[in-house]
Parts: sequence; structure tokens; C-alpha cells
Amino acid sequence: MKKVEHSMEEETICGFSRRDFLKFCSTMAVGMGLPLGTGAKIAEAVTTQKRPPVLWLSAQECTGCTETLLRTNHPTLDKLILELISLEYHETLLVGAGKQAEQWREKSMKEYKGKYILVVDGSIPVKDNGIYCKIAGKTALSLLGEMAQDAAAVIAIGSCASWGGIPSADPNPTGASPAHEVLKSKGIKTPVVNIPGCPPNPYNFLSTVLYFLTFKKLPELDDQARPKFAYGRIIHENCERRPHFDAGRFAIQFGDDGHRKGYCLYKLGCKGPETFNNCPIQLFNDVGSGAWPVGTGHPCFGCSEKGVGFTLPLHSPARPKYITPPSLFTEVFPHKEGVSSGTKALAAGVSGAAIGAAAAALVSGLGKKDGDSGNKEE
Amino acid sequence: MSKRITIDPITRIEGHLRIDCEIDGGKVTKAWSSGQMWRGIETILRGRDPRDAWIFTQRFCGV
Repeated sequence: MKKVEHSMEEETICGFSRRDFLKFCSTMAVGMGLPLGTGAKIAEAVTTQKRPPVLWLSAQECTGCTETLLRTNHPTLDKLILELISLEYHETLLVGAGKQAEQWREKSMKEYKGKYILVVDGSIPVKDNGIYCKIAGKTALSLLGEMAQDAAAVIAIGSCASWGGIPSADPNPTGASPAHEVLKSKGIKTPVVNIPGCPPNPYNFLSTVLYFLTFKKLPELDDQARPKFAYGRIIHENCERRPHFDAGRFAIQFGDDGHRKGYCLYKLGCKGPETFNNCPIQLFNDVGSGAWPVGTGHPCFGCSEKGVGFTLPLHSPARPKYITPPSLFTEVFPHKEGVSSGTKALAAGVSGAAIGAAAAALVSGLGKKDGDSGNKEE
Repeated sequence: MSKRITIDPITRIEGHLRIDCEIDGGKVTKAWSSGQMWRGIETILRGRDPRDAWIFTQRFCGV
């Protein structure tokens, strides 16, 4: 699914006949919903460029993580896999099946030993020696070890691969485990990045991949190996309904007056106060404001957070990680250097004039740069 | 004189599928398909608040 060495004139390309190869390119284009004719562009792209190889291992998954990548615009999925990376192996996209697919996987692993990125979606069942997920007669448990061993980095996409997700929900019938735990038990030290979410926001994944390709290293990670740029804050901190929470205005039942008015969903069980993610900022599907669960009027159920999503009942109240007080109650940044008390006062809403708005913008800008300042304002 | 062919994985579909065929005289005489992955969602659902069920059932398949 790449190759610098072969030209279109040769009889075989990437081990396929020319006819089969072009057919494959067209199938890929149609499969991704790209316009007809894109097949030729794919053929050109894969025969003339050398791009970083990516192998994608699917374990106990629902393909939702692959689907979510179709909802991207910058870059689009086609640009990603045609111009930026070389997707060597992905069950849902491979044209070859059975032995062909597996031979290609083995060939790529050998050829790009130590250089490829391994993406894992789905949890790895470890109970009964991993028999609950098999590919070509091998368990996902053994395949993960085999493929991660020689990878430059592992990106676990989705909650299942990141912390177990839905298959690991009580009573976890198959011993579903996250990729990093399986690797640890096997003593494999390849670095792992977790991009949890069900599905995760595709931009959190793409940004991580592109960061790695650009800077040749992984982005800064938190204690659960999640990129800080995406999972550095709880949803509650950036929620557009947060002013209603602070003012004590809540929806009590679906369809009641408060719900119709767009009040806070905390009392319906919203897990935004204990879930680290950037949903309210990044949003989904590039369709504008409100395109995320809370924006549609449904409580967040904490899909990306271990111990919250698929674990706590949907309508049980959240256990807030920390509550930052409304700005009117106190100074905005009591311990912040470089912000004058005058600026703080203005930012706290004392002035209604344009200068106040400018100062507020300044302070909110400072707040964004300093990712953790909110944590200390208990 | 029958011959057995196994194709695993079947690609370009959602999930992990395996097909086994028995071929006799150039024709498929018997065929089996089998899902190669099990999560036990029915087991996971048992005993939960019914209002939580959709969170699990809608994740059978993400396509």
C-alpha cells in the first residue's frame, strides 16, 4: 500500500497486478466516500511518495474509532492516508484478505522494523489465553506483543484500547484489558499514547499523529499517558452551560422548563465535572456550535474517563474533581504574577465598558496558557 | 477429494470474520462463517439500570 520503488508501468505494483492495483485504489476511494476518479490520484500518491508507515491492529472494537476519522476536515482522512502516512495494515480498509493481508503485515513489520507507528483500537481480551479475539488464527493478545515489539510508538485510540472501555465493564467477561497493561505484562517498553473517548475526537488522534510526524517525538502526556493538549482539563471547566451551574440553574428532568432553556445538566447525571476531555472546545463533525453531547441537551456520561464511563450509572450525580468559584466571588488569579490588581478587577466584571471586555480577554488568554491554574482555585 | 479453504481475516467489513469453505470438483459444497471476537455485552448488561442499556447496545457496532 505504498512503494517508492515501483512505477505504474511495471507489471506488478506492491505485489498486485496493475489491474488489481488500480481496482484496489478505486475501491479505497469509494470506501472512503471520495469522488470517482480519486482512485488514480491514490495510485499516484502511493507510488511516488515515501511516507511514515502505520499499522493498525483491531482487537475488541466496534470500528467506531475508524468511523470517527471519516468526520475530519483538516486534514481529511484521504489527505492523511494518501499524503501524510502510509497505512500498511488496517482490516477494515485492506483490499487483500486472509493470507494476503497477513503476509503484507509481516512484510511491513520486517521492512519498517523499529520505525512504524502501531495504532490499536479495541481492548485486548486476556482471559482464557486471549481466545475471545482472533485474527488469522492468532490471538489479539499475541499479535499486540508481536506488533508492538518492533514499533516506534503505540497509539491506543478509543477508550477500549486506552483503559478497557465497554468490554471491560463489570463483570468483564473476557478479561478485556488496555494495550498499555498488556504491554507492561509482556515487558515491552515501546512508548504508548492513550487517546480515550467513545469515540474519541478524531482531531485528538490526528494531532498526535501529526505531532509525531512533524517533531519525531510524542506530545507531552499526563499521568495516564493522554496528550495534555487534549485531556488537560475537565469538561466542566470549558462547558458552555457552566454559568448556569454557578448560578444554580439546573434541568431536573428531560423536557422540563430548565432543560428547554439550556440549563446545566448536572442534576441529570452529567459527568462533565469528573471527565478530562476537550469536547466543549473541539466539538465534533465540524458543523459548528453545540455539536457535542451536552450541547444537544444530553448529560456527558464520561465515555473517555476510566472509572466513570460504562462504570457509573448514567443518571447518578457526578463527583466533581474540583469546583472553581465564579469570578465575582474572588480575585481572578490571586497568586498570579504579572497581572495587576486593576486588570483583575476589570476582568472580574466591574467595568462594563470596552476596556473591561479587553481586560477580560487578556485574562482569559492568560488562563488558557496556564493549563493548571484552575486546579488550585478551590 | 474435497479441499478446505480458510479466509481469515475477511477485510473491508466491520469486525473479525472468518470464512471456511469445503470445495469439491471446483465447487463450494459447504461453507461456514464465524465471528472471531466476543465481548459478552449481554452478560455485561445484566443487572444494570435499564436507562443505561443504550450506552452499551449502541456500541455493538460503530459503523
